[in-house]
Amino acid sequence: MRIYILRRLVAVVPTILMITLVVFVMMRSIPGDPVVALLGDAFTEEDAAKVRQEYGLDKPILAQYGLWLAKLAQGDWGTSILSGRPVLKDVLVRLPVTLELIVLSMAVALAIAIPAAIIGALRQNTWADYSATTVAMIGVSIPEFFAGVLLLLMFSVALHGTLPSSGWVYLPGTCPMVVCTGSVWANMMHVLMPAIALGIGRAALLTRLLRASMLEVIRTEYITTARAKGLAEKPVVLKHALKNALIPTVTVMGLQVGFLIGGAIVVETLFAMPGLGTFGIDAIIARDYQQVQGFALITAFAFVIINLIVDLTYSLLDPRIRYA
Amino acid sequence: MSTLRNVELPVVGELVDAAPATERSESPLAQALRRLRKSKTALCGGVIAMALVVVAIFADVLAPHSPTASDQNHTFETPSRAYPLGTDQLGRDMLSRLIHGSRISLAVGVASVLLALFVGVPLGLVAGFYGGRLDAGIMRLMDLILAFPIYLLAIILMVIFTPTAGLIGTIKVVGAIAIVRIPIYARLVRGSVLSIKEKEYIEACRALGVRDRSILFNHVLPNSLAPIIVTTTLGIATSIIVEATLAFLGLGTQPPTPSWGWDLKANVAFIHQNPWLALFPGLAIFVTVLGFNLFGDGLRDALDPRMK
Repeated sequence: MRIYILRRLVAVVPTILMITLVVFVMMRSIPGDPVVALLGDAFTEEDAAKVRQEYGLDKPILAQYGLWLAKLAQGDWGTSILSGRPVLKDVLVRLPVTLELIVLSMAVALAIAIPAAIIGALRQNTWADYSATTVAMIGVSIPEFFAGVLLLLMFSVALHGTLPSSGWVYLPGTCPMVVCTGSVWANMMHVLMPAIALGIGRAALLTRLLRASMLEVIRTEYITTARAKGLAEKPVVLKHALKNALIPTVTVMGLQVGFLIGGAIVVETLFAMPGLGTFGIDAIIARDYQQVQGFALITAFAFVIINLIVDLTYSLLDPRIRYA
Repeated sequence: MSTLRNVELPVVGELVDAAPATERSESPLAQALRRLRKSKTALCGGVIAMALVVVAIFADVLAPHSPTASDQNHTFETPSRAYPLGTDQLGRDMLSRLIHGSRISLAVGVASVLLALFVGVPLGLVAGFYGGRLDAGIMRLMDLILAFPIYLLAIILMVIFTPTAGLIGTIKVVGAIAIVRIPIYARLVRGSVLSIKEKEYIEACRALGVRDRSILFNHVLPNSLAPIIVTTTLGIATSIIVEATLAFLGLGTQPPTPSWGWDLKANVAFIHQNPWLALFPGLAIFVTVLGFNLFGDGLRDALDPRMK
């Protein structure tokens, strides 16, 4: 197992190198550069050349990428061209916000999907099943930002600001400023709407998938055996059927991470959250090369690591799957 | 049509067995169409999709006002008889904007999927049929695109293309979304080609001396059509969501061209004073996506009941 994880971690390196290289080349193929934005309208070519030299922007692209990698190996993620702050510092401040959002949205998705799928599968073709599948169909068709707008209309407009419509309160301990009041309660109030907005689409997708695989599993012989030997319905469903039906669902959850990262950009923009999503989109639009590289690196890393975790979850769900 | 007749569908055997011996056996296409007509979901989705197409085509006739003409005397009007869905901060009629916005959503949704299809399907066919280095080369490139979180790639592509208004702006969005979706078709088609090329009728073609190109397009492609059709319909729904998301982030077709995603973004700022302004563009996106999802679902059940 340990060797397997190590081998997978080594295999992660080329993927991350490829993704960061492609982003590097793509960002630099955009006409114009951030130096012009940094210096404003009144700049001379001399100034611009000086700044370009300072940030190494006058070198060939591959040489620049090599330089970035060499610095990265020493733990230096570069410095933002526009804000002058170290990229790693910004990423570390923003990472907990996005992680909290993504983890909670997954929790929302599972909390809705598991009961809905079980009801749908156990009572197939009854009104309960029909309403579960109809709601799931509606859920997959709602883009995250519209789900967010609906929540805003409900909690911020109709209920007169029960939940805050934008901004962020940090969890105690993750606060970047020296003077800062972190509060678990206020944090929960701020993260609730974004997490539901991001989770609702995933919930719908997982419900559909899980219901389908539950239907398949429930007709297998070992479920009949479990019932025949007198097991109560609850352990049959939860211990025998659900655990096996979860395997394909977990795979899809891993694949959904790409969507969750994109969804995080949208939801963080809508609710004005200081997370990695807003960090990334602001960096890409401002062409802040170093920040974009930092964003691409952390995204690619998260993507690959989560897929590794997904693969490891299989052996938890099904002990027959072993990794040597 | 004749090429469609030998489309191999999984249920043929079952249905023929179940049917009374006296009944004439119908072609797989006719069976699929019959099942499609019976499906309430497909019917519902089809009606929504068709209605939207009609709205988009006749937008100029249907829209009561101009979608771009501003009227400073009628800003933030609540829904009334003159302005059924109210007006925005520039006094533009929301209903007319929604009607015209359907063009962008549908055009981008359909065109990007078709473009991805026309590039992805041949790539998958060639990769699966010839195998070897060509296959490895094509599929590694596809894996590279798939390794990106879809929105990240689409966003960077749009920044590279620089978003603009009008037709050119729309074409840029179509290009960005198509590039992101090419690998989906390439992988799908490659998968079916790998299994089809081992079938006996392909071996028979080879023995008869049929040329590769003819085998590929007359025999392999028609037999892998069912999953392609389903993925295309559902893909339109996804593309419409991606387009709206890009527009919401300010990276879609630029104003003054009316676009649902952009309208939603612009009006979220006024959500406390004028809630309907953000609601209607969002509802339009939702109904459109729902329509294509329902139709795609029904189509999948009709073409391949095993996938239900």
